[in-house]
Amino acid sequence: MTETPHGTVLSFPGTASRAAETDAEGRMPPPNWTEIIDSGYLRLFHPPASGGTGADGLTQLAAMEALARACAGSYWTATVSGLLCGKLISRYSRSSEHDRLLKPLISGEKLACFAIVEPPAGSDAGTYNTTVRPAGAPGEGFVISGEKAKITNAPDADLAVTLARRQKAPGDEGHDWCLAFVDLNQPGVRRYETPRMGLRGMPWGGIVFTEAVVSEADVVPVPFGELAGELAELMAWGWLLISVSAIAIAESALDASVRYAGERVSFGRPLGHMEGVQTQLAESRAQIDAARVLARKAVTELAAGRSAREAIAMLKIYATEMAVEVAARAVQIHGAAGVTRGHEVERLYRDAQMNVIGGFTSNRLRETVAESLGLGPAVYQPFDWVAPAGLGIDPAGFDGLTQSAGAVPA
Amino acid sequence: MVAPQELKPAAPGAGDPSSAAAARELAERVARPSAAERDRDHRWDPALFAELAGARPGPGLAGPLVPRALGGGGLSATQTCALLEGLGEGARDPGLALAVGVHAVLATVPLRAFGSPRQRERYLPLMASGDWIGAVSLRQTQGAALAPTVTARPGTPGLGGWVLTGDLDLVAGGPVAHHFLVVATHDGGGRTAFVLDRSTPGLLITESAPAAMRTCTWGRLVLDGCHVPDDAVLGTVGGAEAEVEPLMASLDWVFSSAPWLGVMRALVRDAVDGAAERQVFGRPLVHAQSVRFTLADLATRCELAAGLLYRAAGQFDSGGRPTRQDAATARLFVAAAARAVAEGAARLSGPAALTSDHLIARAHRDALFFAETGGGTEVLRPVIAASLLGLG
Repeated sequence: MTETPHGTVLSFPGTASRAAETDAEGRMPPPNWTEIIDSGYLRLFHPPASGGTGADGLTQLAAMEALARACAGSYWTATVSGLLCGKLISRYSRSSEHDRLLKPLISGEKLACFAIVEPPAGSDAGTYNTTVRPAGAPGEGFVISGEKAKITNAPDADLAVTLARRQKAPGDEGHDWCLAFVDLNQPGVRRYETPRMGLRGMPWGGIVFTEAVVSEADVVPVPFGELAGELAELMAWGWLLISVSAIAIAESALDASVRYAGERVSFGRPLGHMEGVQTQLAESRAQIDAARVLARKAVTELAAGRSAREAIAMLKIYATEMAVEVAARAVQIHGAAGVTRGHEVERLYRDAQMNVIGGFTSNRLRETVAESLGLGPAVYQPFDWVAPAGLGIDPAGFDGLTQSAGAVPA
Repeated sequence: MVAPQELKPAAPGAGDPSSAAAARELAERVARPSAAERDRDHRWDPALFAELAGARPGPGLAGPLVPRALGGGGLSATQTCALLEGLGEGARDPGLALAVGVHAVLATVPLRAFGSPRQRERYLPLMASGDWIGAVSLRQTQGAALAPTVTARPGTPGLGGWVLTGDLDLVAGGPVAHHFLVVATHDGGGRTAFVLDRSTPGLLITESAPAAMRTCTWGRLVLDGCHVPDDAVLGTVGGAEAEVEPLMASLDWVFSSAPWLGVMRALVRDAVDGAAERQVFGRPLVHAQSVRFTLADLATRCELAAGLLYRAAGQFDSGGRPTRQDAATARLFVAAAARAVAEGAARLSGPAALTSDHLIARAHRDALFFAETGGGTEVLRPVIAASLLGLG
């Protein structure tokens, strides 16, 4: 713990000291998980009734940033499980099941993942095929089949909060979709790891369900509208999580740049005396601050139970792309050191890119923001309007179309 | 202090540095001194245009692309591009340079490429001498990407010809033009290009005054059931989509960009001078690495823009068909570069330079306008993407 003007902020010195090793190994070392549990990090996001400590929004944000600065991959793992999946379970599972499903996530005994995307498509839910169907007669539970991909924690998780279609028995007028809380430690589940450029400490990959068993209590029907409704509100926590990862990576990159600019002597003086370097530091400072101020506003709204979906969509676009830019500047300031495998800013540069893609890409979110401006939903049409406008063919030369046939101009 | 010449390496691919130099020298002498005043007053100076058009021996800015046999300069596309670049740099007047380019390229080349022998002989010699000015609406230089506003229906039986109805704004050169290139839509689909003389009954021309490019002269055409004869058709009836439209689009993308290369070079030079004169924290601005880097980046943009533009222009000299993708790419890049350079120059020159007496303020305003012509990014990007993807 560290005392700051904003109160007590968690610190993760062990996790930070192992960040390079975690990246190189492509796995989160067990002591990181122990440090995260012992810090009380996972409890911050939930009320005491659920076994949490119910921290206020800004405390949550400060803790998230502290962990993400220590090790962005470890942060993703812990926060997707404890915060995002915890909130989904807390909202959608029956309260009678919270002791079984929620408490182990908050205590850190178990790890969860959020399985939504499928291999052929990204955020286009209409293409998802994973299906939950009754295992037998009513009351005898369900089985789930299908493949989910590109999932944080999938290779190691104990539980998957899974978005699936419902195969309905005749006469079932319920919703077409459901959230299924699937135990991953069973024969009908195969997991695989997907190699990735950054956030290498975070397990990431896919899950193949083959008639995996799901109990009656763990299937919660949701309307398709939920994908743009309350479920989407909860998913905004995921976007916030990623935005904080980006802000932390940018801050680490700037911190490293400032340190280096003070130490590294070039042309007889430290780099920091050069206005070109100063420019880069100043731009980065302003950009990170802009993102963090918006993040603070958003988390305050979310923690108060108000919608901040549009603000967080804007934040995720800006913060994640900003972090790529700031990390690129940091690499440039560090020169050859910055492109050396294993250097901190080299790692940050790779980590930064992951945030742009994860949990809805920037372009998908721009659609969300545009829609919130009153522009109506995204319009997808076959691209066929250039040729009819006379712009689909190359122009004639100065002497007309005869030129193209090889004729000699008059 | 860096000498101006050292800042101006020859454009890569520029075929004829001498035509650029001659145009620059002429424009600097006859157009630059009055540029700010003409801009302030929205004034078109016919004598100035005549001087630019009639310079002999010299660049002959009115008819570089008219064949020598028809009294023109018989220059190549590359040479013409250099000529317009020199005009932009010497005159420091984007509006005037646009007016010259619209006449000498956009209104001229479709007549040369698709005109009947009679049309070529009637129009091109007097266009080359500058006696007749040709005008085009910038609404019609990106095919039919913008909703067509002029329709053509067959003339009454016995009379033949066509009856054109509609209106067109953004006609560069409109108030002083002798004739206009107009594309009209047929009821049953298809579009045809026409050349309309100013004297056509039912054709009304009014002056307009866009906020930018004020030194060009602008008009609006109202076609109130204009009857034109069959020989007013330029190219094939219903053939504009394959003939005049793609040609006019690529011509605009390439040749209307050319003066901006010169304007950008002038802006970079102004930015260098401005930065050299200003002091911040008691130090010359040019001692600051960040300022030097900005200037280096602006100069780099100029070279990149020139490279793309001369690549696209050179394709008109190859004897084959130029590619729309390269023309659109050049315009997309030049328009963004013009804005970046204008903004960078404004930033380095300080608030005092932001009056319309200075090129920086005028170019900043005009660059925004320029970036939206030729269809702007919303036409250029789909055109490039359509080529890349094999869609569209």
